[in-house]
Amino acid sequence: MRPADRRPQPAKTALRRADGYLSSWLFAFGLIAGLIFGIAFTRAHGPWRRGNAEPWQLHPHDRQHYMMAVALEYAHRGDLGRALDKLIALRPLGDPLSQLAEAACALGSRGYLGSAGGIPAIRSAVELYAAQGRAGCAEQLLPPLATEAPAAAQATRAGTEIRPTPLPTKPPLQAARLATPTPRYRPALPDQRSFELLSLRSFCDLRRPALIEVYVVDYLGRGIPGQRIRARWGDEEDIFVSGLKTERGDAYADFQMDEGIDYAISMASGADALGATLSAGPCYTENRQTLKSYRVTFVER
Amino acid sequence: MGALVGLYLGWAQFPVESRNRSLSSLARLHRDEYSVMVAAGYAADRDAFAAIQRLERLGVADVSSHLRETTERIIATSSRDIRDIALLAQLADALGQATDAMQPFINAGPERA
Repeated sequence: MRPADRRPQPAKTALRRADGYLSSWLFAFGLIAGLIFGIAFTRAHGPWRRGNAEPWQLHPHDRQHYMMAVALEYAHRGDLGRALDKLIALRPLGDPLSQLAEAACALGSRGYLGSAGGIPAIRSAVELYAAQGRAGCAEQLLPPLATEAPAAAQATRAGTEIRPTPLPTKPPLQAARLATPTPRYRPALPDQRSFELLSLRSFCDLRRPALIEVYVVDYLGRGIPGQRIRARWGDEEDIFVSGLKTERGDAYADFQMDEGIDYAISMASGADALGATLSAGPCYTENRQTLKSYRVTFVER
Repeated sequence: MGALVGLYLGWAQFPVESRNRSLSSLARLHRDEYSVMVAAGYAADRDAFAAIQRLERLGVADVSSHLRETTERIIATSSRDIRDIALLAQLADALGQATDAMQPFINAGPERA
Protein backbone atom coordinates (compact mmCIF):
# COMPACT_ATOMS: atom_id res chain seq x y z
CA MET A 1 0.00 0.00 0.00
CA ARG A 2 1.32 3.31 -0.96
CA PRO A 3 1.91 5.90 1.71
CA ALA A 4 -0.67 8.16 0.20
CA ASP A 5 -3.38 5.48 0.69
CA ARG A 6 -2.62 5.22 4.37
CA ARG A 7 -3.52 8.78 4.91
CA PRO A 8 -6.80 9.28 6.84
CA GLN A 9 -9.82 10.48 4.91
CA PRO A 10 -10.43 14.21 5.18
CA ALA A 11 -12.63 15.15 8.10
CA LYS A 12 -14.78 17.27 5.78
CA THR A 13 -16.03 14.21 3.87
CA ALA A 14 -16.98 12.40 7.07
CA LEU A 15 -18.90 15.36 8.26
CA ARG A 16 -20.73 15.61 4.98
CA ARG A 17 -21.81 11.94 5.20
CA ALA A 18 -23.11 12.41 8.73
CA ASP A 19 -25.10 15.48 7.73
CA GLY A 20 -26.63 13.70 4.78
CA TYR A 21 -27.78 10.73 6.88
CA LEU A 22 -29.36 13.00 9.48
CA SER A 23 -31.16 15.14 6.90
CA SER A 24 -32.77 12.18 5.17
CA TRP A 25 -34.09 10.78 8.41
CA LEU A 26 -35.48 14.10 9.47
CA PHE A 27 -36.94 14.70 6.04
CA ALA A 28 -38.83 11.42 6.11
CA PHE A 29 -40.06 12.04 9.62
CA GLY A 30 -41.18 15.54 8.75
CA LEU A 31 -42.91 14.33 5.61
CA ILE A 32 -44.85 11.67 7.45
CA ALA A 33 -45.69 13.96 10.34
CA GLY A 34 -46.79 16.66 7.94
CA LEU A 35 -48.86 14.16 5.99
CA ILE A 36 -50.59 12.98 9.12
CA PHE A 37 -51.17 16.54 10.26
CA GLY A 38 -52.52 17.57 6.87
CA ILE A 39 -54.96 14.69 6.63
CA ALA A 40 -56.05 15.08 10.24
CA PHE A 41 -56.61 18.78 9.71
CA THR A 42 -58.81 18.21 6.68
CA ARG A 43 -60.81 15.61 8.57
CA ALA A 44 -61.28 17.88 11.55
CA HIS A 45 -62.11 21.04 9.63
CA GLY A 46 -64.21 19.54 6.88
CA PRO A 47 -64.08 20.42 3.22
CA TRP A 48 -62.12 23.32 1.78
CA ARG A 49 -65.16 24.81 0.10
CA ARG A 50 -68.05 25.10 2.53
CA GLY A 51 -70.84 25.78 0.09
CA ASN A 52 -70.64 22.61 -1.95
CA ALA A 53 -72.74 20.15 0.00
CA GLU A 54 -75.16 17.80 -1.66
CA PRO A 55 -78.59 17.16 -0.15
CA TRP A 56 -77.58 13.66 0.94
CA GLN A 57 -74.86 15.18 3.12
CA LEU A 58 -77.32 17.15 5.21
CA HIS A 59 -77.47 16.73 8.95
CA PRO A 60 -80.50 14.62 9.93
CA HIS A 61 -82.31 17.66 11.29
CA ASP A 62 -81.76 19.72 8.14
CA ARG A 63 -82.60 16.68 6.06
CA GLN A 64 -86.02 16.56 7.73
CA HIS A 65 -86.67 20.19 6.83
CA TYR A 66 -85.52 19.50 3.29
CA MET A 67 -88.05 16.65 3.12
CA MET A 68 -90.81 18.97 4.29
CA ALA A 69 -89.88 21.34 1.47
CA VAL A 70 -90.15 18.42 -0.96
CA ALA A 71 -93.59 17.61 0.44
CA LEU A 72 -94.71 21.22 0.15
CA GLU A 73 -93.64 21.32 -3.45
CA TYR A 74 -95.54 18.10 -4.04
CA ALA A 75 -98.61 19.69 -2.47
CA HIS A 76 -98.43 22.46 -5.03
CA ARG A 77 -97.33 20.59 -8.15
CA GLY A 78 -98.71 17.12 -7.48
CA ASP A 79 -95.68 15.69 -9.27
CA LEU A 80 -94.93 12.40 -7.53
CA GLY A 81 -91.97 11.54 -9.74
CA ARG A 82 -90.26 14.82 -9.02
CA ALA A 83 -90.84 14.43 -5.28
CA LEU A 84 -89.50 10.88 -5.32
CA ASP A 85 -86.42 11.94 -7.25
CA LYS A 86 -85.64 14.51 -4.59
CA LEU A 87 -86.24 12.09 -1.76
CA ILE A 88 -84.01 9.52 -3.42
CA ALA A 89 -81.32 12.19 -3.90
CA LEU A 90 -81.11 12.25 -0.13
CA ARG A 91 -79.77 8.70 -0.34
CA PRO A 92 -82.09 7.30 2.31
CA LEU A 93 -81.06 4.12 4.02
CA GLY A 94 -84.41 2.52 3.24
CA ASP A 95 -87.65 3.32 1.50
CA PRO A 96 -87.67 7.09 0.80
CA LEU A 97 -91.36 7.49 1.59
CA SER A 98 -90.97 5.63 4.87
CA GLN A 99 -88.09 7.95 5.67
CA LEU A 100 -90.37 10.86 4.91
CA ALA A 101 -92.94 9.44 7.31
CA GLU A 102 -90.27 9.14 9.99
CA ALA A 103 -89.11 12.70 9.36
CA ALA A 104 -92.64 14.04 9.64
CA CYS A 105 -93.15 12.06 12.83
CA ALA A 106 -89.90 13.31 14.33
CA LEU A 107 -90.58 16.93 13.43
CA GLY A 108 -94.16 16.74 14.63
CA SER A 109 -93.03 15.29 17.93
CA ARG A 110 -90.53 18.11 18.42
CA GLY A 111 -93.00 20.96 18.25
CA TYR A 112 -92.66 21.72 14.55
CA LEU A 113 -96.45 21.78 14.31
CA GLY A 114 -96.44 24.93 16.39
CA SER A 115 -94.07 26.75 14.04
CA ALA A 116 -95.10 28.92 11.15
CA GLY A 117 -96.23 26.69 8.33
CA GLY A 118 -95.58 23.56 10.33
CA ILE A 119 -99.05 22.11 10.02
CA PRO A 120 -99.34 22.52 6.23
CA ALA A 121 -95.86 21.06 5.79
CA ILE A 122 -96.59 17.99 7.91
CA ARG A 123 -99.97 17.59 6.27
CA SER A 124 -98.32 17.72 2.85
CA ALA A 125 -95.88 15.04 3.92
CA VAL A 126 -98.69 12.87 5.25
CA GLU A 127 -100.62 13.25 2.00
CA LEU A 128 -97.54 12.32 0.03
CA TYR A 129 -96.62 9.15 1.87
CA ALA A 130 -100.16 8.08 2.75
CA ALA A 131 -101.10 8.21 -0.93
CA GLN A 132 -98.37 5.66 -1.52
CA GLY A 133 -99.54 3.35 1.23
CA ARG A 134 -97.09 4.37 3.94
CA ALA A 135 -98.02 5.32 7.48
CA GLY A 136 -96.38 7.09 10.37
CA CYS A 137 -97.23 8.87 13.57
CA ALA A 138 -97.52 12.34 12.03
CA GLU A 139 -101.12 11.83 10.96
CA GLN A 140 -102.01 11.26 14.58
CA LEU A 141 -100.23 14.41 15.66
CA LEU A 142 -102.04 16.63 13.22
CA PRO A 143 -105.04 18.52 14.52
CA PRO A 144 -108.34 17.95 12.75
CA LEU A 145 -108.44 19.73 9.44
CA ALA A 146 -111.26 21.98 10.48
CA THR A 147 -109.35 23.58 13.33
CA GLU A 148 -106.12 24.03 11.48
CA ALA A 149 -106.65 27.60 10.41
CA PRO A 150 -106.87 29.30 13.81
CA ALA A 151 -104.05 27.20 15.24
CA ALA A 152 -101.79 27.94 12.31
CA ALA A 153 -102.61 31.63 12.42
CA GLN A 154 -101.77 31.87 16.07
CA ALA A 155 -98.58 29.91 15.60
CA THR A 156 -97.66 32.31 12.81
CA ARG A 157 -98.12 35.25 15.08
CA ALA A 158 -96.02 33.65 17.75
CA GLY A 159 -93.31 32.83 15.25
CA THR A 160 -91.42 30.32 17.33
CA GLU A 161 -90.79 26.77 16.32
CA ILE A 162 -90.29 25.12 19.67
CA ARG A 163 -92.53 26.06 22.49
CA PRO A 164 -93.26 24.30 25.70
CA THR A 165 -96.28 22.06 25.71
CA PRO A 166 -99.16 24.01 27.20
CA LEU A 167 -100.46 22.84 30.51
CA PRO A 168 -103.71 20.94 30.37
CA THR A 169 -106.93 22.86 30.65
CA LYS A 170 -107.56 20.84 33.75
CA PRO A 171 -104.96 19.59 36.16
CA PRO A 172 -104.49 15.88 36.76
CA LEU A 173 -107.35 14.45 38.71
CA GLN A 174 -105.33 13.63 41.76
CA ALA A 175 -104.02 17.17 41.95
CA ALA A 176 -107.47 18.55 41.29
CA ARG A 177 -108.85 16.76 44.32
CA LEU A 178 -106.23 18.33 46.54
CA ALA A 179 -106.20 21.79 45.02
CA THR A 180 -108.34 24.66 46.20
CA PRO A 181 -111.37 24.96 43.95
CA THR A 182 -111.04 27.72 41.41
CA PRO A 183 -113.79 29.59 39.60
CA ARG A 184 -115.05 27.77 36.55
CA TYR A 185 -115.88 29.22 33.18
CA ARG A 186 -119.62 29.48 32.73
CA PRO A 187 -121.21 30.18 29.37
CA ALA A 188 -123.41 33.25 29.46
CA LEU A 189 -126.31 31.48 27.85
CA PRO A 190 -127.68 28.00 28.26
CA ASP A 191 -126.11 25.73 25.71
CA GLN A 192 -128.76 24.52 23.30
CA ARG A 193 -126.46 23.23 20.60
CA SER A 194 -126.26 19.58 19.74
CA PHE A 195 -123.16 17.73 18.59
CA GLU A 196 -122.11 14.42 17.22
CA LEU A 197 -118.81 12.62 17.19
CA LEU A 198 -116.76 13.34 14.07
CA SER A 199 -113.53 11.49 14.80
CA LEU A 200 -111.65 9.70 17.52
CA ARG A 201 -107.96 8.88 17.24
CA SER A 202 -105.33 7.82 19.69
CA PHE A 203 -101.79 9.09 19.64
CA CYS A 204 -98.59 8.62 21.56
CA ASP A 205 -96.57 11.63 22.65
CA LEU A 206 -93.95 11.82 25.38
CA ARG A 207 -94.88 15.39 26.17
CA ARG A 208 -98.61 14.84 26.26
CA PRO A 209 -99.22 11.54 27.99
CA ALA A 210 -102.67 10.43 29.08
CA LEU A 211 -104.39 13.47 27.60
CA ILE A 212 -107.79 13.68 25.97
CA GLU A 213 -107.76 16.48 23.43
CA VAL A 214 -111.22 17.54 22.37
CA TYR A 215 -112.04 19.80 19.42
CA VAL A 216 -115.50 21.27 19.10
CA VAL A 217 -116.33 22.68 15.68
CA ASP A 218 -119.37 23.85 13.77
CA TYR A 219 -120.48 22.46 10.44
CA LEU A 220 -118.01 24.75 8.66
CA GLY A 221 -115.16 23.53 10.79
CA ARG A 222 -114.84 26.66 12.86
CA GLY A 223 -113.99 26.24 16.50
CA ILE A 224 -116.77 26.86 19.00
CA PRO A 225 -115.58 28.21 22.35
CA GLY A 226 -117.42 27.82 25.60
CA GLN A 227 -118.80 24.35 24.91
CA ARG A 228 -118.91 22.05 27.91
CA ILE A 229 -117.56 18.54 27.60
CA ARG A 230 -118.29 15.85 30.13
CA ALA A 231 -115.85 13.20 31.27
CA ARG A 232 -117.29 10.27 33.24
CA TRP A 233 -115.41 7.57 35.05
CA GLY A 234 -116.81 5.18 37.63
CA ASP A 235 -119.51 7.09 39.47
CA GLU A 236 -117.76 10.41 39.04
CA GLU A 237 -117.82 13.02 36.35
CA ASP A 238 -116.22 16.32 35.51
CA ILE A 239 -116.86 19.10 33.02
CA PHE A 240 -114.29 20.94 30.95
CA VAL A 241 -114.76 23.70 28.43
CA SER A 242 -113.55 24.45 24.91
CA GLY A 243 -111.72 27.64 24.01
CA LEU A 244 -110.07 28.34 27.36
CA LYS A 245 -106.64 27.78 25.87
CA THR A 246 -106.56 30.57 23.38
CA GLU A 247 -103.20 29.49 22.03
CA ARG A 248 -104.76 26.23 20.84
CA GLY A 249 -107.77 27.85 19.20
CA ASP A 250 -111.44 28.23 20.05
CA ALA A 251 -112.19 24.57 19.44
CA TYR A 252 -109.71 23.09 21.86
CA ALA A 253 -110.13 21.62 25.32
CA ASP A 254 -108.26 18.88 27.09
CA PHE A 255 -108.59 16.57 30.03
CA GLN A 256 -105.85 14.78 31.92
CA MET A 257 -106.50 11.09 32.50
CA ASP A 258 -105.24 8.90 35.28
CA GLU A 259 -103.68 5.59 34.36
CA GLY A 260 -105.86 2.52 34.66
CA ILE A 261 -109.20 4.34 34.64
CA ASP A 262 -111.75 4.14 31.83
CA TYR A 263 -113.28 7.43 30.77
CA ALA A 264 -116.39 8.18 28.75
CA ILE A 265 -116.41 11.50 26.92
CA SER A 266 -119.49 13.32 25.70
CA MET A 267 -120.75 16.81 25.07
CA ALA A 268 -122.52 18.09 28.14
CA SER A 269 -125.31 19.45 25.97
CA GLY A 270 -126.57 15.98 25.32
CA ALA A 271 -124.55 14.14 22.67
CA ASP A 272 -124.23 10.47 23.37
CA ALA A 273 -121.05 9.38 25.04
CA LEU A 274 -118.48 7.66 22.89
CA GLY A 275 -119.20 4.04 22.25
CA ALA A 276 -115.74 3.06 23.43
CA THR A 277 -114.20 4.09 26.70
CA LEU A 278 -110.85 5.82 26.70
CA SER A 279 -108.07 4.64 28.93
CA ALA A 280 -104.47 5.71 29.26
CA GLY A 281 -102.77 2.46 28.40
CA PRO A 282 -99.07 2.19 27.65
CA CYS A 283 -97.70 3.10 24.24
CA TYR A 284 -94.25 3.47 22.74
CA THR A 285 -92.70 6.32 20.84
CA GLU A 286 -89.12 7.43 20.27
CA ASN A 287 -88.03 4.17 21.86
CA ARG A 288 -89.67 5.09 25.14
CA GLN A 289 -92.83 4.08 26.86
CA THR A 290 -95.47 6.59 27.77
CA LEU A 291 -99.24 6.69 28.12
CA LYS A 292 -101.65 6.80 25.24
CA SER A 293 -103.57 9.99 24.52
CA TYR A 294 -106.68 10.65 22.45
CA ARG A 295 -107.91 13.28 20.04
CA VAL A 296 -111.68 13.60 19.81
CA THR A 297 -113.62 15.92 17.51
CA PHE A 298 -117.26 16.84 17.98
CA VAL A 299 -119.08 18.63 15.19
CA GLU A 300 -122.27 20.62 15.54
CA ARG A 301 -125.30 19.00 13.97
CA MET B 1 -44.14 19.60 2.27
CA GLY B 2 -45.75 16.70 4.09
CA ALA B 3 -48.42 18.97 5.43
CA LEU B 4 -49.12 20.33 1.97
CA VAL B 5 -49.40 16.85 0.55
CA GLY B 6 -51.67 15.88 3.43
CA LEU B 7 -53.91 18.90 2.84
CA TYR B 8 -54.06 18.14 -0.86
CA LEU B 9 -55.00 14.53 -0.21
CA GLY B 10 -57.56 15.45 2.43
CA TRP B 11 -59.24 18.26 0.52
CA ALA B 12 -58.79 17.43 -3.15
CA GLN B 13 -58.17 13.73 -3.64
CA PHE B 14 -60.09 12.17 -0.80
CA PRO B 15 -62.37 14.87 0.60
CA VAL B 16 -64.34 14.00 3.69
CA GLU B 17 -67.93 13.06 2.89
CA SER B 18 -69.68 14.28 5.97
CA ARG B 19 -73.36 13.65 6.60
CA ASN B 20 -73.45 16.49 9.04
CA ARG B 21 -73.80 19.49 6.77
CA SER B 22 -76.36 22.22 7.17
CA LEU B 23 -78.74 23.64 4.62
CA SER B 24 -76.57 26.74 4.54
CA SER B 25 -73.67 24.70 3.17
CA LEU B 26 -75.58 23.37 0.19
CA ALA B 27 -74.12 24.01 -3.22
CA ARG B 28 -75.73 26.86 -5.13
CA LEU B 29 -77.63 24.50 -7.39
CA HIS B 30 -79.25 22.83 -4.41
CA ARG B 31 -79.83 26.11 -2.60
CA ASP B 32 -81.75 27.24 -5.66
CA GLU B 33 -83.66 23.97 -5.65
CA TYR B 34 -84.57 24.44 -2.00
CA SER B 35 -85.66 28.03 -2.66
CA VAL B 36 -87.92 26.84 -5.45
CA MET B 37 -89.46 24.23 -3.16
CA VAL B 38 -90.13 26.87 -0.53
CA ALA B 39 -91.68 29.09 -3.18
CA ALA B 40 -93.89 26.19 -4.24
CA GLY B 41 -94.85 25.78 -0.61
CA TYR B 42 -95.85 29.42 -0.53
CA ALA B 43 -97.95 28.88 -3.63
CA ALA B 44 -99.66 26.03 -1.81
CA ASP B 45 -100.33 27.60 1.57
CA ARG B 46 -99.91 31.36 0.88
CA ASP B 47 -98.06 31.77 4.16
CA ALA B 48 -95.28 34.26 3.48
CA PHE B 49 -94.07 34.22 7.06
CA ALA B 50 -93.61 30.46 6.92
CA ALA B 51 -91.73 30.83 3.64
CA ILE B 52 -89.38 33.34 5.28
CA GLN B 53 -88.71 30.96 8.15
CA ARG B 54 -87.96 28.14 5.73
CA LEU B 55 -85.58 30.30 3.71
CA GLU B 56 -83.83 31.42 6.89
CA ARG B 57 -82.56 27.87 7.19
CA LEU B 58 -80.27 28.65 4.28
CA GLY B 59 -78.34 30.83 6.68
CA VAL B 60 -78.80 34.03 4.72
CA ALA B 61 -78.75 37.30 6.64
CA ASP B 62 -81.51 38.92 4.63
CA VAL B 63 -84.03 36.49 3.22
CA SER B 64 -85.77 39.06 1.03
CA SER B 65 -82.56 40.21 -0.62
CA HIS B 66 -81.44 36.63 -1.06
CA LEU B 67 -84.69 35.76 -2.78
CA ARG B 68 -84.52 38.81 -5.04
CA GLU B 69 -80.92 38.12 -6.03
CA THR B 70 -81.57 34.42 -6.58
CA THR B 71 -84.60 35.08 -8.73
CA GLU B 72 -82.85 37.74 -10.81
CA ARG B 73 -79.82 35.53 -11.31
CA ILE B 74 -81.97 32.62 -12.40
CA ILE B 75 -83.91 34.85 -14.78
CA ALA B 76 -80.69 36.28 -16.20
CA THR B 77 -79.10 32.89 -16.70
CA SER B 78 -82.29 31.03 -17.62
CA SER B 79 -80.96 28.28 -15.45
CA ARG B 80 -84.32 26.91 -14.39
CA ASP B 81 -87.72 26.04 -15.73
CA ILE B 82 -90.03 28.97 -16.35
CA ARG B 83 -92.53 27.60 -13.83
CA ASP B 84 -89.84 27.60 -11.16
CA ILE B 85 -89.03 31.21 -11.98
CA ALA B 86 -92.70 32.10 -11.72
CA LEU B 87 -92.89 30.54 -8.27
CA LEU B 88 -89.82 32.42 -7.10
CA ALA B 89 -91.06 35.68 -8.59
CA GLN B 90 -94.41 35.33 -6.90
CA LEU B 91 -92.81 34.75 -3.54
CA ALA B 92 -90.47 37.68 -4.11
CA ASP B 93 -93.50 39.77 -4.94
CA ALA B 94 -95.18 38.68 -1.72
CA LEU B 95 -92.09 39.80 0.19
CA GLY B 96 -92.03 43.15 -1.57
CA GLN B 97 -88.95 42.32 -3.63
CA ALA B 98 -90.44 42.24 -7.10
CA THR B 99 -88.37 43.88 -9.79
CA ASP B 100 -89.09 44.74 -13.40
CA ALA B 101 -87.42 41.57 -14.56
CA MET B 102 -89.84 39.50 -12.49
CA GLN B 103 -93.03 41.21 -13.62
CA PRO B 104 -93.74 38.95 -16.63
CA PHE B 105 -93.45 35.88 -14.42
CA ILE B 106 -95.55 37.35 -11.65
CA ASN B 107 -98.29 38.26 -14.08
CA ALA B 108 -98.13 34.88 -15.77
CA GLY B 109 -98.50 32.95 -12.53
CA PRO B 110 -97.13 29.49 -11.91
CA GLU B 111 -100.06 27.65 -13.43
CA ARG B 112 -100.04 29.59 -16.67
CA ALA B 113 -96.31 30.05 -17.06
